[in-house]
Amino acid sequence: MRIVVAYKWACDPEEATVHADGTVDWSRAKPGLSTYDPVAIELARQFADGTGAELIGVTVGGKGVATPIAAKTALGRGLDRVVIVEDESLAYAGRSELAAVLAEVIWHIGDVDVVVTGDSSVDVAAKMVPTVLAGALSWPAVAEVTSLSGQAGALRVERAIPGGVQVLEVSGPAVLAASADAAVPRVPGMKDLLAAARKPVELIELAALKLPVQGAVMTVTGRSRPERKAREGQLIDTSDPDKAAAELVTALRQAGAL
Amino acid sequence: MDFELTDEQQLIRDAVREFAEAEVVPIAAEIDRDHRFPYELLPKLAEMNLMGMPYPEKLGGAATDYVSYVIAVEEISRACASTGIILSAHTSLATWPIYKFGTETQRERYLPDMASGRRLGAFALTEPAAGTDAAAGTATATLHADGYALNGSKMFITNAPYAEVYIVFAKTDPERGARGMSAFIVEKDSPGFSVGEAEHKLGIRGSSTPPVYFADCRIPREALLGEEGEGFKIAMQTLDGGRIGVSAQALGIAQAALDAAIAYAKERVQFGKPIASLQAIQWMIADMATEVDAARLLVYRAASCVDNGRPYSTEGAMAKLFASETATKVAGKAIQIHGGYGYIESYPVERNYRDAKITELYEGTSEVQRMVISRSALR
Repeated sequence: MRIVVAYKWACDPEEATVHADGTVDWSRAKPGLSTYDPVAIELARQFADGTGAELIGVTVGGKGVATPIAAKTALGRGLDRVVIVEDESLAYAGRSELAAVLAEVIWHIGDVDVVVTGDSSVDVAAKMVPTVLAGALSWPAVAEVTSLSGQAGALRVERAIPGGVQVLEVSGPAVLAASADAAVPRVPGMKDLLAAARKPVELIELAALKLPVQGAVMTVTGRSRPERKAREGQLIDTSDPDKAAAELVTALRQAGAL
Repeated sequence: MDFELTDEQQLIRDAVREFAEAEVVPIAAEIDRDHRFPYELLPKLAEMNLMGMPYPEKLGGAATDYVSYVIAVEEISRACASTGIILSAHTSLATWPIYKFGTETQRERYLPDMASGRRLGAFALTEPAAGTDAAAGTATATLHADGYALNGSKMFITNAPYAEVYIVFAKTDPERGARGMSAFIVEKDSPGFSVGEAEHKLGIRGSSTPPVYFADCRIPREALLGEEGEGFKIAMQTLDGGRIGVSAQALGIAQAALDAAIAYAKERVQFGKPIASLQAIQWMIADMATEVDAARLLVYRAASCVDNGRPYSTEGAMAKLFASETATKVAGKAIQIHGGYGYIESYPVERNYRDAKITELYEGTSEVQRMVISRSALR
């Protein structure tokens, strides 16, 4: 059985600096494994350990995703090997383009029985790639996955739904987005980290993949922030509670809040 | 000269930091307050392969380089200095002498369990009247037909009584002074071995440091480590490496204090602005950051000497001297920056201050380090 975990190597926006003019300085942000990807790897690792499956990590992106530290960081978390597409053109690629590249890598690996992803990425948090990827593969997509068991062709998936848990039986390959608390990622031990350097890393050139022709191109042409309303700071004397309440209601009505 | 950590060293630092945040930080204040040995951490440290990092995998270790090991001690100590010394004393003081001086039989008997963390070790050299003057120890080891009989006492023994394996130094020939000292591997259940009540200390309160007693304690001949008369040499060489571990502990304490001071300075508002905007505070933090970074360079340099097979006695002494005195100084300044809040238990910086002082004392006082360094400088 083959399990793929699609992970992202990205910077945490918490470490970026936002200037007064709205521009973002990423220079002090250190890239790392996207926050929820270790959860996905742990969920998949537990399933792989129970079934004897091979666990393969896949990532695509701009400069940096194929560095040794990026690969070792992912491998150290429990992946058996990784397959990476690094291309500068992917640095700012949209969700559909990234999903298309991921789909081609999954076809390249071949005989993949399930793809697991994190809940969302630390930098964009669009929660779109798992669904778009499933569409590109023509596979079902399941989000908020909390448990995975069964075997190839007969997966048993539990997912969180409002008010409870839904249990699904999936008869074929699927893309599963692990919920943020699906598993507690194990901290890699010292031996795991040293072993990471000895695990296989396969690099694929973007040009070697047969990608669908992209349709419309989206470009961000502007952004603005909502106007800041100056605070009015109206003080209400509360020595007479009834009078104060009436004044407050009047003030809120005048402000359009009531 | 490349001052950057390798990929593996960075990964190890990040993993140990993550482990420390999850498992060590939540109990650090409690074990300090209650003077409690964090016994529950031992299997977790073992599972992370942290208990024998620099030893070969075939002997139970993780086969990391020494720089990675000191980084791990630093990160653990940053969370909890008590846990840091438990780890360092076990790895550098108890496991190392067997690895370096043990027979094949001794290495095979003890190292797989010790380097994997299944059995905890301790180092028993200090006596009530023999601290810095270790050669003045009066514990004796008398050879009989069936083995040795140890008599005497040792004090401030880190990891006792939880340790199962003790490296004990005793005189097989008291007339010869230091040259009459021998080293022994003593197991906890040896008849005649007992452990006293743990000391209540100023700092590292989660580290257990009771006295141990030997009353006609019978051990087999095979318990001799190295040759008779080699004990003092074994002790001194062991301490040469052990003090690199302590320097890493001091570095971790200093870094924790610095981090706390920076965080507090950014949040604390006085005179309408954060105190981090005041030059007095900025200059204190600048000095602290520089001293901590200088300590780090010395500590990593000493560890690098071990990795490259170069002599490290002087480098280890410099690292320990500077890092320990930096820890005390930086922790004191961190309290100063915190003002009154730095004096109360709910702010960890007071624990950093109490923990720091021991790093200037054990495994060779700062005065001993100065002796080692000056001897080298004046050669």
